[in-house]
Amino acid sequence: MNTKRIAYLLLNEAGIGCILALLCILFSYSVPNFASKPNISNIFTQISINTVIAVGMTFVILLGGIDLSVGSMLALCTILAGFTITNKELPVGAAITLAVLVSMLTGMACGLFNGFVCEQWKIHSFVVTLGMQNIARGAALKFSDSRTIFSFPAEFNSFGLISYFDVPVIFIMAITLVLVGHFILVKTIFGRMIYAIGNNEEAVRLSGHNPRIYKIAAFMICGATVGVAAILYMLRLNMASPILGNGFELSAIAAVVIGGTSMSGGKGSMIGTLFGAAIIGVLNNGLLLMGYSDFTRQIATGAIIIAAVILDTYRAKLLRMLSS
Amino acid sequence: MKKLFAIIMAVVLAMCLGSAALAAEKPVVGLVMKSLANEFFKTMEEGARKFAADDGTFELIPVGMNSETDIDTQISAMENFITQKVNLIVLAPADSVGLVPSVKKAVDAGILVVNFDVTLDKQALADSGLPQDFLFVGPDNEEGSYLVGKFLGDKLGKDASVIIIEGNPGADNAKQRKAGFDKAVAECGLNLLASNTAHWETEEANTVMTNLLTRFPDVKGVMCANDSMALGVVRAIEAAGKSGQIEVVGFDNIGACQELIKEGKMLATVDQFGPEMAANAIKVGFRILNGESIAGWEKTPVEVVSKENLK
Repeated sequence: MNTKRIAYLLLNEAGIGCILALLCILFSYSVPNFASKPNISNIFTQISINTVIAVGMTFVILLGGIDLSVGSMLALCTILAGFTITNKELPVGAAITLAVLVSMLTGMACGLFNGFVCEQWKIHSFVVTLGMQNIARGAALKFSDSRTIFSFPAEFNSFGLISYFDVPVIFIMAITLVLVGHFILVKTIFGRMIYAIGNNEEAVRLSGHNPRIYKIAAFMICGATVGVAAILYMLRLNMASPILGNGFELSAIAAVVIGGTSMSGGKGSMIGTLFGAAIIGVLNNGLLLMGYSDFTRQIATGAIIIAAVILDTYRAKLLRMLSS
Repeated sequence: MKKLFAIIMAVVLAMCLGSAALAAEKPVVGLVMKSLANEFFKTMEEGARKFAADDGTFELIPVGMNSETDIDTQISAMENFITQKVNLIVLAPADSVGLVPSVKKAVDAGILVVNFDVTLDKQALADSGLPQDFLFVGPDNEEGSYLVGKFLGDKLGKDASVIIIEGNPGADNAKQRKAGFDKAVAECGLNLLASNTAHWETEEANTVMTNLLTRFPDVKGVMCANDSMALGVVRAIEAAGKSGQIEVVGFDNIGACQELIKEGKMLATVDQFGPEMAANAIKVGFRILNGESIAGWEKTPVEVVSKENLK
C-alpha cells in the first residue's frame, strides 16, 4: 500500500518536481554561479509572469479548452493600465490601485467574451481565442496608436525591485496566485466541478449541473490572471507596449503541459504547472550560463515539451495499472 | 445572399472607379510599409502622410502589415498597386529576398519602384534580371551601430568587457547592426564576452541580460541592436544594483530611451530619422520621374544621440 502511494505521487507532481530538482542539481555542478543567491532570485523573477498566466491557463486546459489570446490580452491590459497609471490628474496611490483594477477587469472582460462565445455557439475555444488574439492585439495597438507607454510613478517602479530575503516581490505575488489556484482546485466545490467536467462533461450535465457557468468562469479566471501578469510585467520592466507578449500563450501552455496537465482535460494540478514553468525557466537560465547558443536553447525547450507529452502517455498507462 | 453580393459588387466597382478617377488627376504613390504595430514604422507612416498632405501634388496610399514577418500582405499590396497602375511604389521589404519577384513584376509593368529602409538582396535581384545597384534609399545600419559602438568604446577605454544583444537572427538590419558593433569592438580593442539575441523584445532582453550578468559580473558595457531591448537591459542592470557601473547603448532613438539618456541610465542611441525616411524615398522617386537618373544607394543620415546633443 505504501509503495503504491509513493508510486502514485511520483507519477503526479512529485515526479515533475524530481525532474526539476535533477535539472537544478545538474546545473549546480556544471555552472559555477547557478546556485548563487542572486541567480536563483533572477530565475524567480524570470518565471513569475509565465507562472501567473499558466495558473489561469491550467483552469482552461483542465476543462479541455485552450486560450490562445493571453499574449495579446496581456498587451491590452498593460496599455489600459499604463494609461491609468500615468494619468497625472489622479493621486499616485489611486492611479496605481485603479491601474490594477483596470488591468484585471480588462482581462476578465476578454475572458467572459471568450467563454460566452464558446459556450453559446458551442465553438471550440481554439477558434474563439484565436479571434480574440487578434481583437485584443488590434485594440491594444489602436488605443496606444502603437506607442510605448513609460514614465510610471517612481513608487511603482521601485516597488518592482523589492525583494524579501532575496525573494523578489514579483515572485511572491506569483506564488500566492499559485497557492490560491491550488486551493480552489483541491479544496472547493468549484475545483471539483472543473475536474469533473474535464473528465466527463455529459455525466455532469446529466447529474443536474450546468457545465456552462464553470467553463465561462474558467476563461474569466484565466483573463484575471493575465490582468495580474500585466501588472507584474509593468513592475518588472516599467513600460507598457502594444506589441509585447508575442508567443506568451505558447510558453504558458508549455508550462501547463510540462507540469503534467492533460490537453484533453480532467487531469493535472496547479503545483505541476508551477514546476513546469520553473523547468522552462531553469533550462533557459542554466543553458545560457553554460554558454550554449540561442538556437540550442530553443531546441532544448522544444525537446522538453515533447518529452513531457510522451512521458504523459506512459504516466496515464501506469496510473491506470496502479488503480486497477 | 444575392442582395449582399450585389452590394459588395457595387462597393468594389465604386472603389475601382474612384481610384481610376484619382489616377487621372494626380500621380499616385503606393507606400508599402512594414509592421505599423512597430512605433518606428508608425511614425514613419505619419511622416509620409504629413509630407503628402503638405506637398499636395500626389496621392498617397499607405499599406502596413500586422507583423514584422507578414510578407504575404506586402506581396498582395504590391500586386494591388500593379493592377491599379500607380505611378510609384515605395517599398520597405519585410523580406529582402521574398519581395524581389513582386518588384520585378512592378518594374515589368512600367512602375517605378523605390526600395527603402531594408535593401533588397543583391543575388536575388541579379537572379530575377534586375540591376544589382537597384535604387535604395536608407540609412547605413552598419555605420550607425559602428558609430554608437565606437562611442561606447571610447567612453570605456581599451580592454573593457562588453556584451552585444542582437536582433532577430536572420533579419538583415539585425545582421548589419551586429556587423557594425563587431567592427567597433575590434577597432576599440574591447573584450567581447557574449553576443546573444533577444529577438528585438524588451522582456526577453531583460531575461537574457540578468542571466548574462550572473555569468559575467564584471561587464562594463552593453550594445543593443534596438532601443526596446535596451529598455529591458537597463532595467536588468538596475535590478542587479549595478546602475552607473555599466554603460548601455541602443539603436532607434525612441522616446522611452531619450528619458533614460537624460537620467544618465543609458549612454547613447542612434537616430536614423525614421519619420523622414519614407518621405525621402518618395522625394527621390519623384526626382527620377522628373527625368533625373539615380541608382545605387542614396544614403540617409544616421546620428549618435547622447546627453550632449539631446534637447
